[in-house]
Amino acid sequence: MKKRISVLLFMLLCCLSFPMVVFADGENTARLVDKAGLLTSSEESRVLALLNEISDRQRLDVVVVTADTLDGKTPRAYADDFYDENGYGFGTGRDGVLLLVSMEDRDWWISTSGYGITVFTDAGMDYLSDQFLPALGEGSYEEAFTCFARLCDQFITQARTDAPYDIGALPKMPFQAGVNLGGSLLAGLFAAGIITLAMRCSMKSVRSQPAAAAYVKRGSMHVTESRDLFLYSHIDRKVRQKESSASHGGSRTHTSSSGRTHGGRGGKF
Amino acid sequence: MAQLQEYKCPCCGGAIAFDSSIQKMKCPYCDTEFEMEALAGYDRELKNEQPDQMDWEVSAAPEWQAGETEGLRTYLCKSCGGEIIGDENTAATSCPYCGNPVVMMGQFAGALRPDYVIPFKLDKKAAKDALNRHYKNKPFLPKVFKNQNHIDEIKGVYVPFWLFDAKAEAKLRYRATRVRRWSDSNYHYTQTSYYAVMRAGSIGFERVPVDGSSQMPDDLMESIEPFDFSEAVDFQTAYLAGYLADKYDVDAQQSIERANERVKKSTQDSFRETVQGYVTVLPESTNVQLHNGKAHYALYPVWILNTTWKGTKYTFAMNGQTGKLVGDLPVDNGAFAGWLFGLWGIISAAAFGISYLMWLL
Repeated sequence: MKKRISVLLFMLLCCLSFPMVVFADGENTARLVDKAGLLTSSEESRVLALLNEISDRQRLDVVVVTADTLDGKTPRAYADDFYDENGYGFGTGRDGVLLLVSMEDRDWWISTSGYGITVFTDAGMDYLSDQFLPALGEGSYEEAFTCFARLCDQFITQARTDAPYDIGALPKMPFQAGVNLGGSLLAGLFAAGIITLAMRCSMKSVRSQPAAAAYVKRGSMHVTESRDLFLYSHIDRKVRQKESSASHGGSRTHTSSSGRTHGGRGGKF
Repeated sequence: MAQLQEYKCPCCGGAIAFDSSIQKMKCPYCDTEFEMEALAGYDRELKNEQPDQMDWEVSAAPEWQAGETEGLRTYLCKSCGGEIIGDENTAATSCPYCGNPVVMMGQFAGALRPDYVIPFKLDKKAAKDALNRHYKNKPFLPKVFKNQNHIDEIKGVYVPFWLFDAKAEAKLRYRATRVRRWSDSNYHYTQTSYYAVMRAGSIGFERVPVDGSSQMPDDLMESIEPFDFSEAVDFQTAYLAGYLADKYDVDAQQSIERANERVKKSTQDSFRETVQGYVTVLPESTNVQLHNGKAHYALYPVWILNTTWKGTKYTFAMNGQTGKLVGDLPVDNGAFAGWLFGLWGIISAAAFGISYLMWLL
């Protein structure tokens, strides 16, 4: 009886200490850590399977982490430290990418490392985040993470076969038929309305003449006084927008607390 | 005293009328043409004979009820003896029985004598052609209106106009701004400079026309302007033969307001054009003093075309000198909707196609 209780206690302890950690095949750290509990277990296993499949095939870790609290750290520091401390990354460069989603202040951060820094340029990450942030904002977490994983796959393939996605070489946004159709209909109605109203106005040709310009006696206009007096002037000043460094392309890097080099991008959702 | 004047051909005695294509009097029976100058002398001769030809009926037939004849005048046609009824302003018409053109001389006596007349240059056929051109390229014009195209009435009318000369003394002040933009490495600058702009001077106007007939809508008459006054000639009643004419029933004093309104607007426009090189110009004070000269009385040629459609009367007016034709047309709302939705569809489809092409590139 005592033995059974202690076994049960041990199992309970195990569950409490590693509540949401799912281990990846052949690795000692899971590629999906849902500390905030945003996913159901079935969703979790689907996302994890996808992350594992992509990571192993591409030889580059694609990791998703969710958190309830950042423990007072910045999202960047938390994501970098989480990556470094849990030993993610393939090879000596510790190639990988990590998406952190924190529910504390609804922060997100993408941290890149090793070859991941090359794959995910600043412009590339801006594009990437534009794709999955709408789903993240709506609370469709599985959709957001799946979108992130599939795009990472696309980005890595692109970088390995050609050059990484960067300014001027970003993947095409999908054609938004609905938005374009709506805009076209509005523009069409506006243009058609102006044309037909102008045509309708041409049906009316009887108008009073406001002026008598046709009856000015030739050469009869004499300007006797013509003074232009300067009164005052004032100057408005607007701060010039600095051109963002993203326009130079490539990835900016920084050093994490453990002394490793990371790239990254983040914001709120 | 009013009496009728018919112009008889000295050759055959037929009634002659002014022919706009040759700008002479022409006898339709024997094709003899007469110079206007020759007729001026003839005209004077006829005036001397006037006292002998007082066959004007003072009172109407007893069947007329009291008040009914007010504003009406009856004349006896000298050719056929038929009774011609005109209103008190009718100055030229044709006899309803024999069709001979007649001119009521009394309507041009004394102060009523016009100073100038611009003779008709375009005939009835030109007016019909102009109306057909007016119907063209009007997709909203109801098909039935275009196809039926029966004109109730076409009449060549000499419309009385008052011509005003005016000298305007203007003194104007504007508030104007200039904007200069430049940038350095940190800021964009916008400098707005304010100016007080003063202008003063004078400008002259001659022969600003104002419709002197209450029967003619003023906006219709203003729409067919301008008339080319260089073609005006000294008035002779012979020009009226074959056309309708009214004498004025709105006098110069009543008409001058409208002329002054237009002169004032034109004066402001002309001086506004001298203010150049500013981004915005707002008038702050405007002072226009008008010195009106003598008003002249002239008859201008206008073709009036009337048609009725679905109980509404449509009036078109054509400048008898320049051929400019105006007149509001009915709108077929079905055609309007068809065009609106059709264009909407076409433009939207084109815009959608272009947006797709831009995405592909």
